[in-house]
Amino acid sequence: MKNKIELPLFSSYEFNSNFYDELFSKNKKTREIYKRLFKLFSQYSVNEFNALNNRAKESFFNNGITFQVYNSNQVSEKIFPFDLFPRIINNKEWSTIEKGVLQRSKALNHFLWDVYHEQKIIKQGIVPLDLISSSENFLPQMVNLDPPEGIYNHVSGTDLIKHSDGNYYVLEDNIRCPSGVSYVVGNRAAVKHALFGVFNEYNAHTVVDYGSNLLDIMESVKPKGVDNPVCVVITPGVYNSAYYEHSFLAKQMGIELVEGQDLFVENDFVYKQTIYGPEKVDVIYRRIDDLFIDPLEFRKDSVLGVPGLFSVYKKGNVCLVNAPGTGVADDKAVYTYMPEIIKYYLDEDPILNNVQTYHCSRKNELSYVLDNIDKLVVKPVDESGGYGISIGNKLTKEEIQKVKETIMENPRKYIAQPIMALSTHPTYIEETQSFEPRHVDLRTFTLLGKDKDFVLKGGLSRVALSKGNLVVNSSQGGGSKDTWVLKK
Amino acid sequence: MLARVANNLFWMGRYIERSEHLARYLNVNYFSSLDAPSELSQSREFVLRSIMFMASNEVVDAKVKLKEKDVLYNIGLNIKEPYSIIYSFHSAHENARSSRDLLSTELFESLNTINHRIKNYDAKAFVKSGLYDFTSIVIKSTSELRSKVQGTLLHDDLYAVIMLGIYLERALQITRIINSKCSDATVEKLKDKIPQENGHLWATLLKCVSAYDMMRRLYKKTPKQNTTLEFLILNPQCPRSIKNCLSQMEKYVDILSKHHKIKTDSAAFLIKKLNAEFKYKLIDDIESDIEDFLSDLIDKLVFIGERLDEDYFKVTVYPIIKEKSVSSVQTQ
Repeated sequence: MKNKIELPLFSSYEFNSNFYDELFSKNKKTREIYKRLFKLFSQYSVNEFNALNNRAKESFFNNGITFQVYNSNQVSEKIFPFDLFPRIINNKEWSTIEKGVLQRSKALNHFLWDVYHEQKIIKQGIVPLDLISSSENFLPQMVNLDPPEGIYNHVSGTDLIKHSDGNYYVLEDNIRCPSGVSYVVGNRAAVKHALFGVFNEYNAHTVVDYGSNLLDIMESVKPKGVDNPVCVVITPGVYNSAYYEHSFLAKQMGIELVEGQDLFVENDFVYKQTIYGPEKVDVIYRRIDDLFIDPLEFRKDSVLGVPGLFSVYKKGNVCLVNAPGTGVADDKAVYTYMPEIIKYYLDEDPILNNVQTYHCSRKNELSYVLDNIDKLVVKPVDESGGYGISIGNKLTKEEIQKVKETIMENPRKYIAQPIMALSTHPTYIEETQSFEPRHVDLRTFTLLGKDKDFVLKGGLSRVALSKGNLVVNSSQGGGSKDTWVLKK
Repeated sequence: MLARVANNLFWMGRYIERSEHLARYLNVNYFSSLDAPSELSQSREFVLRSIMFMASNEVVDAKVKLKEKDVLYNIGLNIKEPYSIIYSFHSAHENARSSRDLLSTELFESLNTINHRIKNYDAKAFVKSGLYDFTSIVIKSTSELRSKVQGTLLHDDLYAVIMLGIYLERALQITRIINSKCSDATVEKLKDKIPQENGHLWATLLKCVSAYDMMRRLYKKTPKQNTTLEFLILNPQCPRSIKNCLSQMEKYVDILSKHHKIKTDSAAFLIKKLNAEFKYKLIDDIESDIEDFLSDLIDKLVFIGERLDEDYFKVTVYPIIKEKSVSSVQTQ
């Protein structure tokens, strides 16, 4: 069933009953929670809204909330696409999400400890051994190494979607270097500037407290014997696509943003080179991937890391946030065991739903996958950023055949899930100068420290900007939205 | 503060200051020459050579015929020329970007907005009709940036590093501008055989460093060589004089040097020594061989810059594998 609404900004809004629309119910009525917001948006003329939208984009540009694109002979600066229509989550739904993502973070932390120590969960046959042994992200260097205060995944980013049944499902857990939190804060500022009046009608939780909580978490995992830890953020440098976020976080916490070249190791401690000489560093929030943090231990060609850093970590004289080797647990194959993992370590039922998953490593499931590729999303288990994903209903016959062959080459590398019907949200499309429904997901941000945890009340609603597209990842050209969690 | 970051901020300060002096020199010299009194000072070739000398620090070969549009473009908007205004501003921005976590949001936003404006300035419009507009934008912008440095940053050692960069660059630029104008004066004297004072040239010099109004207020007379040089080199109250720059540099290096013993070959020592020499200097002591004095001063200032680098900004390079840099792209 497709239909249209008679409002200038919403004249292209097409209803599709296969998806849950966040703004309109199935009978085309505005959902209660959005009523006041929709009223505001329906008062704008196309020109007024265009001007508002351009001003918001300009403010991102002037604030340098950008990434750089390198062409053959010039560098250009781009903003991440951003949408002014905020997503609203009511307090009750949020409280489930918050408990659910925290539960997952805690369970994953137990799992990581176990995987790098006794491996009880494998010995008891709850997860199969080859899940770990064949994972590229398992770091043998971490075996029997105790990270400060037993924390591995201090920072997690859990991606959720709202399915056509109106329930949230977890798509994946990101516990290596999840990014995006700086855009949550940037988006909020832009929406506040553009639509200030509407905040009188809605009481949304703030999102600016992430930085101070991250610093608390970092300080809580300081090495033994340190009273006032010196914390830093380490970045690959200004040319990294997430550099804005790295500098933003350092600034929010009031700590230094360092590069590998600023640090050095001497007598089992890490130092930074300051204008007055070396100063010891105790906790490092590292935004460099595992294999690049120390050329003496991992990739020898890395000039981003600090030679000898891992040996200091092994001695317990510095804490790395997140711990190296966490990637083994955010593997998409491990994801499928999350209900068992949660039950095993916490003796709780999972609060958030997992999407049903077929393992291509299992014979009977593999044959189901091969027979039903057109109805499934096939994903490589160890890639992030939306790379290597195929969505069955978008493929031609030839492409389906190609996917089958790719899976058969290395079945362990792939899982398949039913095509999830990501909810849609009104998104301003510049070409048509109107709002159209686009698919969204929700990235949440969770912090875990010694006797402390924190879930950011808000998140990054990521939007797939092209019509009908279900992949929302920003590496794939997705945009984002401000997300309001209501106090009441 | 990290040594690398301090170095970036020091150079950010220097490049902001450099952009301003380049822009004003271009603006004032070009426009004042259009209706200058003497034939020589009105000559395009003479003015373009003077501008090139100040900007690039090199004397253009006498055989080379300079084209006005090329000179203006190279100094204004040619990013490939390290002496251009756009290169200077771009460098200020890049240095700020790599330490933006330490700068105030207000300062970075201004720097970023201005950088976009300068970067996107239409080169054709610039050489045709935008010279005044473009240089005015740069001049106004740099004072906005300095005011944000002063008004939105904590006045601690980070601030001291930026201010050291600003005042060292100011001292250097002003010395070079005086040098360039003194050499113009010598040429004029030789060519036109003018025995009398060339008031127009000294007024232009004062305007090049935005000190004309201050000078008029103090001396209440048409600027002459003697009074102009005295004012720009030795007046302690003029914020554009060399003497003033040196005392500011001493003030800011004191913030850094209180953390360590001052060695005789350190930057702090050299700044204090030069400042002490200036304290009792008279214009009559230096006017007779002003060109030697200025070139010696430039050498000393350059050396102070090198010592600052050695004392505070040097990063020990540890033997890591020097293969091609591997950069990782964040995908999570």
